[in-house]
Amino acid sequence: MEATATPSTQEEVKPGTAKVTVAEVTLRKFEVSDVDAMMAWASDPQVAAPCRWDAYESTEPLLAFIRDVVLPHPWFRAICLESGRPVGAVSVSPTGDPCRAELGYVLARAHWGRGVATAAVKRTVATVFAEVQRLERVEALVDVANPASQRVLEKAGFTREAVLRKYSAVKGIVRDMVMFSFIDTDPVPE
Amino acid sequence: MEATATPRTQEEVKAGTAKVTVGEVTLRKFELSDVDAMMAWASDPEVAAFCRWEPYESTKPLLAFLRDTVLPHPWFRAICVSGAVVGAVSVSPTSERCRRELGYVLARAHWGKGVATAVVRRALRDVFADLEPEGLRRVEALVDVGNLASQRLAEKAGFRREGVLRRHYWHKGRARDMVMYSFLSDDPLPE
Repeated sequence: MEATATPSTQEEVKPGTAKVTVAEVTLRKFEVSDVDAMMAWASDPQVAAPCRWDAYESTEPLLAFIRDVVLPHPWFRAICLESGRPVGAVSVSPTGDPCRAELGYVLARAHWGRGVATAAVKRTVATVFAEVQRLERVEALVDVANPASQRVLEKAGFTREAVLRKYSAVKGIVRDMVMFSFIDTDPVPE
Repeated sequence: MEATATPRTQEEVKAGTAKVTVGEVTLRKFELSDVDAMMAWASDPEVAAFCRWEPYESTKPLLAFLRDTVLPHPWFRAICVSGAVVGAVSVSPTSERCRRELGYVLARAHWGKGVATAVVRRALRDVFADLEPEGLRRVEALVDVGNLASQRLAEKAGFRREGVLRRHYWHKGRARDMVMYSFLSDDPLPE
């Protein structure tokens, strides 16, 4: 359950819906008891659309995912707002080289358009380099056709490095992906 | 044993020097008996400079590499000039069926003659012919920002330079910036 979300854009924020500040968004480890909160986004086909996974239809496989992937993962965090209940997830996953890891994030649709994903990514790059040994680069791959997710990364201070042509198959279709990175010497915006 | 060398290119052949005629360049599968020929480049620190591996000091670990990595590899070829093994080219799987990664290495005696360029073009043609039916769409090459000759080679072979990936690759104690190149199944092969 990696990458990307928020196919809606900033321009779709309804009047009166305040943008969150980074301080209002916190990250914590997941627990098995978070499964019901996770179902809110994991079962949503609109959320799943740009992701590698299909929308979940029951909590049983999601429980298995939490147990087998999330809990043992080196860096997988619940995105929480004031209530402490998860509204999404952000992860930084190992790759073939110790200096680089891959970012993924997902957010429940009810919280799109308020800057929550951007705040969560900012918190991530502000803390992950101190927490993961030898890590120097966090990278993220976003479909060229997902401009909202690209904007999340740009606002979080990532550098757009390249368009990688025919890089990756998502749901059976080979796609062009934009490569973004944040390295440990980059400034965290704001 | 991937990537690349050839710090000199065709353009550096001095004016007035006739272009060197390269003997016939062919590709074939490796055999264990190639280990001695391999030592010629595998033991050379200048060749190893931009590669992930340290120069080999004896044939025993090289034999193990041949046996355990090269022989079972899905696409690893010996570069032969007039029948003698002078280097290696490989196209390695990644986590995605649509993309594989190119690597090549050449003994220093054969740098600057256009051998690597000819080999890369041949490898692209062969590997897409073999693997496009299985979903291969992209062959990529990652080249250290400091390896200018290898960058020139990729460009001459028709690769598209996509960008620089910062601190991408851990190499001999440091995270290095790498230039990403790609060649797609429907890109035109030069010449």
